[in-house]
Order: sequence, then C-alpha cells, then structure tokens
Amino acid sequence: MRLRKILTAAIATGALVGGLTVVPAHAATEVKMILWPGPEGEAMQKVVDAYNAGQGKKDGVVVKQVLLSRDNTFAKEAALMKAKSSEYDIYFTASYLVGQHAPYLSELKGIKDSRYLKASIDGLKVNKKQMALPLDTSLHFMYYRTDLVSSLSSAANVAKYKSISKTVLGKELSPNTDPETWSWDDALATAAFFTQKYNPDSPTKYGYALPAKNLLYNTMIWNDVLWGLGGNWFKNGKPSINTTAGKAAIDVYRTIYTKELTSPESSQWEYAETNAALTSGNAMMALQWNAAYSELSSTGSTSGKVGIAAPPGKGQRTHVHALAVGLNKYSKNQAAAQKWMQYLSTVKAMKDYAAAGGVPSMPTILNTMVSTNASFANIIAYAGKFGYAEAAGPREFDMYAKLAEVLSPAWVGQKTAAEVASAADAALKSLQK
Amino acid sequence: MIRQRKEKLSALALAAPLLLFLTVLVIWPVYLGVRTSLSRDLLSEFEITPAGLDNYRAVLQAPDFWSALRFTILFAIVVTIIEGILGFALALVFDRKFPGKKTLFSMVLIPIMIAPSLMAVMYRLILNENIGIIPGAIQKIGWDISIFDQRYIFFTLVALDAIQYTSFAFLLAYAALQNIPQDIYESAAIDGARYRQVVFRITIPILRPALAIVALLRLIDSFRTFDTVYILTGGGPGISTQTIGIYIYKTAFITGDFGLASAASVTLVLLLVPLMPSIIKQFRLDVK
Repeated sequence: MRLRKILTAAIATGALVGGLTVVPAHAATEVKMILWPGPEGEAMQKVVDAYNAGQGKKDGVVVKQVLLSRDNTFAKEAALMKAKSSEYDIYFTASYLVGQHAPYLSELKGIKDSRYLKASIDGLKVNKKQMALPLDTSLHFMYYRTDLVSSLSSAANVAKYKSISKTVLGKELSPNTDPETWSWDDALATAAFFTQKYNPDSPTKYGYALPAKNLLYNTMIWNDVLWGLGGNWFKNGKPSINTTAGKAAIDVYRTIYTKELTSPESSQWEYAETNAALTSGNAMMALQWNAAYSELSSTGSTSGKVGIAAPPGKGQRTHVHALAVGLNKYSKNQAAAQKWMQYLSTVKAMKDYAAAGGVPSMPTILNTMVSTNASFANIIAYAGKFGYAEAAGPREFDMYAKLAEVLSPAWVGQKTAAEVASAADAALKSLQK
Repeated sequence: MIRQRKEKLSALALAAPLLLFLTVLVIWPVYLGVRTSLSRDLLSEFEITPAGLDNYRAVLQAPDFWSALRFTILFAIVVTIIEGILGFALALVFDRKFPGKKTLFSMVLIPIMIAPSLMAVMYRLILNENIGIIPGAIQKIGWDISIFDQRYIFFTLVALDAIQYTSFAFLLAYAALQNIPQDIYESAAIDGARYRQVVFRITIPILRPALAIVALLRLIDSFRTFDTVYILTGGGPGISTQTIGIYIYKTAFITGDFGLASAASVTLVLLLVPLMPSIIKQFRLDVK
C-alpha cells in the first residue's frame, strides 16, 4: 500500500517536472564524425566550427568531430562497423579501404564529380556507387636535394659517376640532372654517387632513404616502382608480381638495401624516419608522400633545397589515394548527416579546409593555394598525368598488408626476388576470392 | 537447517558481485570469442555465416601462426631469463645500504610506470640513427652502428623489453628479500660463509617460490607482447619479429577476418592451458 503511494507520488512529480521542462521546438541534431588526429583532424575542426556557427544553425545540425588515435582509427572503426554500431554517424575511410567499408556505408547522392580530381573521386566508388566523399588527396613525389643533383654536371663528377655506376650497377651510366626524366637506373646510380661508401666526398652518408618496414603504406610506395617498370598487381585478372617487371621492382629495393645505398636500419623505416634521414642530411633522395613537402622544404638540410619529381619510370606510376568520409548505414541521423556531407562537398567548406592545412581533392582550390604550398601544383599535374590506384576490390587493404609482409624480406636482402614473387602472387590470389 | 540455508544464501549474496563480474567480463566475452571462431566473419562481408571448424583448420595450417608462436616463445623465454636474473641482481644490490638508495630506487621503477606504446614511440625517436640522441653519442666515439639493423633487431627488442620490465622483476624480488629473517644471515656469517655462498645456498633457495612467481608472471606477460614490437618493427622484416599478439591483431583488424583471429586466440589458449599445471609444479608453487 505504502509502495503504491510512493510510486504514484513519483510518477506525478515526474510528469509535473517533465511538463514544465522547456523543450526547444527545433533542437539541433548532433552528428558525430570520426577523423584521425594530425593535420587532417585539425583542419577539419575549423570547418566543423564554421559550419556549427553558420550553415549548421539553418540546417538544425551540430557536428561533433571525434579524433581517434592516428595508428588505430581504422581498427576501432572495424570493430564499430562489425557491431553495426550507430554510435558514430560518419566514418573516416580512404580509397584503399572503401571496398572493405562499403557494406557498412550508405551511398552518397548529389556529389558533383567534376569538382574533384578524377583519381580521388573515382577511387571512392564501389560498383559505380559513390560511397565516400574525398577530403585529402595523397600521392608520392621523388624528393631530392637540388644542390646535389645540379653538382653532377661537372666534368670530374661525370667521370666518377660513370665509374661508380659501373661498380654498383654493372653499367656505365652518365649523370642525368633532370630527375623528372629519371629511369630507375638513373635514380640508383645517383643514389650510389651520393653514398659515402662509394664516394667518400659525398656530403650525404647515403644516397637513398628507403622506407622498407613491413607496413602496408610502404607497399603503396613500392607500387610506384612496380608501375614505373611496367608491372601491376594483376594482368588479365591474374596476379602478376612473379613477372619480369615484378621481380625487377623488388630488385630495385633489394639493390638499394644490399648495396648499402640506404641505412641498414631502414628495414624498420616508415614515413617519419624517411623524413628524418632527408632533413638530417644523411640521405639525398627518397620516394615519399606529398604530405612531407612542408617539413622537407622548411627543415634542416633540405630547407630550401628540396626538389620534387615524378617517381622514376614510365606511364601511370604514382599511387594516388583519397582520405574520405562516409555515412554510417546504421546512423540514426541519416538526414542530418547528409546535410553536413552536402556542406562538406562545397567549394567554401574545402577552401576553409585548405586554409587550415588540409590538401583537398578539388583542383580549383589547390590551384589558388599554390602560393602557400608549391607542391599543390605538382599534386594537380601528377595526379592527372601519372596518378594510379589499384582497384582490387573489397580486400585491397589486406592485399597491401600481405604484400608488405611477403615482399619486405626481399626488400632488405633476406630473400631473393624470385623467392618472394611467387609467394606474393599466391597471397594476392587467396585474397581475390 | 534454517541456519545452514541462511549461511548458503549469504555466501551466495557475497559472491554475487564477483560472479556477475566474471560473467560479464570473462565468461561472456570468451563465449562470444568461441562463437566468432566458429563463423565466417569478415569485415568485407556483411553476413556472418557458420564455418564449423574451418577457421581452426586454417590457423593450424597457417605457417604465419606457427612462426609467430615460435618467435613469441623464444622471445618470452629469453626476456624472462634476462629480466629475472637482472631483477634479482638489482634486488641484491638494493638490499644493502648505500647513499642515494631511495632516489635510485624510485628511478629504477620509472620504466614500468610508462605505457609500453609510449616507450616504443620514445625508442623510435631516441634510437633513430638520424636524429636519435643515443646513436649520436655512439657515433661521437667513432662507433658506426644502426640499432635497428635487421641483423640485431631481436637483441634490440630483447634489450628494450628488459629496460622496461626488469624493474618489475626487481620489485618482486626485493619485496621477497625483505622477508628473509636476518638471523639466518647472521648464523651464516658466524659460520664463515662468503657472500657468494650466502646468495647461492641461502638466499636463492629461500626465494625460489618468489622467483618462480616472477618468472611465471613475466613469462605470461611477455607472451602477450604487442605494443613495443608492433610499433618498432611491425613484425618484420617479413614476419621475422611477429609475435602471436601481432598476428592476431593483424588478422582481425587489417585483414578484417574476425573468425580466423578468434580461432587463433582460442587455439593459443588451448595450447597454453595444459602447460600451466606443469609450470606451477616445476616451480613448486604452493597453490592451495
């Protein structure tokens, strides 16, 4: 009896309090978006703030950006996706991952393809459906020391260059002072020339900084070598690393490492260590991500002396991918999230993003920002002329990781190209299923 | 009769929080893990379908799994031995009085207070050939060495693990040392025993159960090694430094094969569980 009285009183009080509470007629819907920390997350926060203070009020949407750790964002997202979680409305993804993420994303409609770099927007389509919106475009440059390359043309250096190239590569080569037209032989001979083991007068200890760690992002860089030599992962739908071009590409890395044109510890190097080798003055050149330009052009030995060229070789030969955001299929705020995504696809939003340090995939914006970052001009030129991405389907991400695992022992001389090439093909075949 | 029933009920009530804790945090996740291991559960595929024992077959036939297991066992045994010996030796040093002992004691404990992933990131910086302070100092004395050279990478990883976890072994050994009655040492001194004899004939036999616990804890913990190795080598070159933890992590979160990763985890537990009683027996741990 007493319990009933208490319950009645509690319900009545609750109803009264509830009735008196002022609920706004149009409360804003919160949209939660995952990004990773670093330049992308910082730049996006500026865009989010601008939206929340302006257009977001009209849309009735408040965007909250959540930054997970840089190393494990995709692992955490994988767990959320598999659990069909609705906790976050927008996932961070990339063109090399969108095939894996597509089952958990909603198709985006009304995106104007013409605003974006073709390689970036196309790389985010799965079965011709746009599954994510491009943010940053990433590709590779061959970075080199301009002061050192220009020194190659002196008569004394030409003779020495010929002799060193004969010793290291078995071919007598003449210096090529235009890295834009380098073959891999030119690059290797130049690296050997600027390695103190072969040329004690070299100002750099090593000619090359090789990111050879077992890391999937290093496979992306090695792909440039493969493509530049005319190879590819697949030919007519069949794995094709175990080919002349595939084995030659493995041997380029193997030569750099075993001939000691790079540091012995480069077997554990990735992005940061490669940059450190260049800026410390220990290495003369490297294939590296475009994002490194800001640091290389303003730090240490490469400050004001860093040149950019396309990766050596011929044809489409620089890996291009787009970092992107996609709409969670299980989001309970689909309409609100779509509004925010529409805003993100505008030139205004991407201008804010670029101004805050992002590298948006819109050529019109990149063109206007060349004065602040000279490499933007190269991004537009190379993405169009040399840009390439493997379209390997839902397991592309695994393929990158598996190739790093299988190929890295040969990159650092533990195995031969022939030994790992067939294993690489077998790995690709097993992931094609 | 009523009293007995009341006692049983109150015992159950007292145990209830623990049982609930175990159910939610141990039994339920283990059940989910086993269930996932019996499914084809790929991130790239939306549907989860029953797979029977396929994942277990795949794990047992995967050379990567066995290679990772071999590396992990070797790594765990080597670091356990090194850290056990160094920890015990440090405990003997700190068992004496010397100036600055308190400060040094605190300093020795610092490494175990730092997260392994943070330590690994720090190592990447300070041991880097190009910008690291330690290679810089070594080069100054004319020794040209790359600490992360693949030829020495196993020893580098062992040394870095020892830097972090020797203090753990030291702490337990030191605590155990404090419990040895002084009279025993006094009697040994009267009998003319030398320091070496005291250590090998008195201290070590008395500390044997404590040292066994140190070894057991370090062995179990180093079996789970992940952060440092993953950050420094990614398991490479190839899979030459891949621990079983890295194998499972990559299978789940890079390959996106949760079924296979769960099967690998369950297999690992099944392989290790039968060893535990013999390890305990070997060290004569008094488990009641």
